[in-house]
Amino acid sequence: MRNINNITSEKKKMPESKRQFCSFQMAGHFFGVDILDVKEIIDEVVLTKIHHAPPEMLGFVNIRGHVHLVLDLRLLLNFSTKSIDESSRVLLFHPNVGESFGVMVDQIGHMIEVEERLIEYRVSEDNISGIARDFRKSELEKGVCKLKDRLLIILDASKFLNAVDIKR
Amino acid sequence: MKQTGIATKIILLSCGIALILMVVGCVLLVQYEVIMLNNLTANKVDEKENFYLYRLYQEKNALNHQLTSQINDLIKTMKSVDVIYAQTFEFQIQSLLMHPMVIAAEFCDKNFHTFLAAWKVKGIKVGKTFPDTFNLKNYMVINKQTGIPSIESIRLYYTIEKIEKQLQALKKQDINELHETRDSIYKKLHALFLVQSIGSLFVVALLGATLIFSLRWLILKPIHELMQIARQLKKLDLSVDIKTTTASHELNSLAYALGQLLEGFRKIIADVKENANMLSGSADNMTDIAEQLTNHSEEAESKSNNVAEASLQISSNIHSIASSVEQISDNMEAVSSTSEYLFNNINSVANAIEELSSSLSHVGERAKNGTKIAEQAVFLANKAGNTVNSLRHAADEIGGVSEFIQRIAHKTNILSLNATIEAASAGSAGRGFSVVASAIQEFAEQSSRAAKDITDRIASVQKGTYEIEDAFKDVSNIIKEMNESSESISFAVIEQTKAVQEIASNALEADERARNINVSIEDLSRTVNDAADNTAQVAMGANDVSTRIQGVSESISFNRQISHQINETAIVLNHLSGNLKCMVDPFKVSHQSN
Repeated sequence: MRNINNITSEKKKMPESKRQFCSFQMAGHFFGVDILDVKEIIDEVVLTKIHHAPPEMLGFVNIRGHVHLVLDLRLLLNFSTKSIDESSRVLLFHPNVGESFGVMVDQIGHMIEVEERLIEYRVSEDNISGIARDFRKSELEKGVCKLKDRLLIILDASKFLNAVDIKR
Repeated sequence: MKQTGIATKIILLSCGIALILMVVGCVLLVQYEVIMLNNLTANKVDEKENFYLYRLYQEKNALNHQLTSQINDLIKTMKSVDVIYAQTFEFQIQSLLMHPMVIAAEFCDKNFHTFLAAWKVKGIKVGKTFPDTFNLKNYMVINKQTGIPSIESIRLYYTIEKIEKQLQALKKQDINELHETRDSIYKKLHALFLVQSIGSLFVVALLGATLIFSLRWLILKPIHELMQIARQLKKLDLSVDIKTTTASHELNSLAYALGQLLEGFRKIIADVKENANMLSGSADNMTDIAEQLTNHSEEAESKSNNVAEASLQISSNIHSIASSVEQISDNMEAVSSTSEYLFNNINSVANAIEELSSSLSHVGERAKNGTKIAEQAVFLANKAGNTVNSLRHAADEIGGVSEFIQRIAHKTNILSLNATIEAASAGSAGRGFSVVASAIQEFAEQSSRAAKDITDRIASVQKGTYEIEDAFKDVSNIIKEMNESSESISFAVIEQTKAVQEIASNALEADERARNINVSIEDLSRTVNDAADNTAQVAMGANDVSTRIQGVSESISFNRQISHQINETAIVLNHLSGNLKCMVDPFKVSHQSN
């Protein structure tokens, strides 16, 4: 499944080797996900809590008759939780990323278009020796994009659901 | 009575002695009877003993005689017979032993040798001699010469034990009977003794009761009455009546004598008491009078002293008055010159005050104008405050509108983001739309920024209006205060105007008065000169009066000393009479007192 997803995102690369990212802020950090994985951004959120669910699952949200699961990206990235305020938004992902779910982010940013050469991907797991691999706590980070004045951390949306499972 | 009376003691003593005597008499009597009885019994016993001995002797003799006669009969029988056989002897000897008292018998030959013997040991035994074991010493013996050739003598042994025993038993029985009789008599005696003692006790009790009764009736009752009288006398109560109707003559006479004595004493004490009372009363009166006298004389003395002092003071005062009058006449001249100066001054003051009055009325008008202006200012300030208030409301509304604009900007931003996403997912076909979306996003951000700007501005406007409102409130307060103070000023000015007008009229009057004063002071100065001369004469007269009054005071002082002495004497007299009264008072003379 993962492989297939990777392949689809690879296929949809721009011919000019440019990529677009949907950026957002969280706990002062600057993150981004591939815009092709994003389905929609929602501002008015009415959450329905799930009983007995792990703390990372904030609840269900009803968007035009479709129910989506909302995850707390702060907890997934090992930050402390924060109550929902005016600037909180939910990023809903495309069905090909995972089964109808979204994540709660602190503040949404612009759409960013960058050239492929500015992105540095992480070294794949197979090339890392045993001890170094253990230090890797998160599999969510895909790579880093170098912008003019700062760095954008690119997250892999397809791994969010699995991260919840792993934590459990 | 807790203590036992004389009568009780006597009765108890005599009864006790009688009881003891009776008991002792009873005991002695009984003892005597017992001794008599014992003696009697002992005599009887002796008699019985003698009788027994006599009987024993008689019996013995009778037995001896009987046995002798029996032997004689035997000898006679044997003499009558010519031939005597040995068997005959045996038969004879056995016949001798037939008698119950005979124990043994023996026949002796010429040589006094026993040739035949018979004895009683479980039946009659016959032998030549007695066996050795058979002891004959304890028995009585009858030895008889027969005169028969073959038998020289016959010895008969017999015993009187049985008779003795019989007699002894008889004697014992008699003695026992005697003892029994004696014991029964003893018992009777004891019973008698008990009866006697009870009887004596009863008699003694009777005697005691009689004695008590009689003593009570005859002696104790009158003595008790006398005792009561004596007790009352002990309390110094002489108001007792002594009755002489008691039973015994001696006590009667004693009571009569006591009554006489009491009567005399009572009279004397009553007299003494009355006199003492009178004396005490008169002494009291005297003391009072003496005290009054003393007081009066003291008062007179002090008054005279006061008068003397006062006269002295008067004379000195008059002197000083004389001197001061002279001084006054000197001062008077100075005053008259000063009063003229004063008159001039007062004139100028009256003019000044009239000017002041006219200027004050001007001030009053100005103050009234000020009040009106202040009222207008308050009205305007209130109006301005209302305007500012409405301005503030308008600003609030603008704030709400700007918030709305901001929300729209946010929404637009979200829309543009979503549009961008859609464009991206459309690929190269959505390329143009992507540009539009980013333009929309820019526009949304700008409008958001503008809305924020407006909000900030409006906030500062609001703050300004608040400050303006406060300032207007302060201004209106100050104007109110100003209004109040100008009102009070106008009021005060009115009052002042009135006061100044009054002062002006007073000043005019003062002017006139000052003129009058000037004239009268000149008159006065003349009169004072006359007075100075007169006072000098008065001072001399006052000196004379003072010396005379001092003489009066001395004579009053002498008077006072004498009255003091009288008072002391009266006090002593009063004390003495009081003592006498105290001495007499305890005696009670009549029934009414106490």
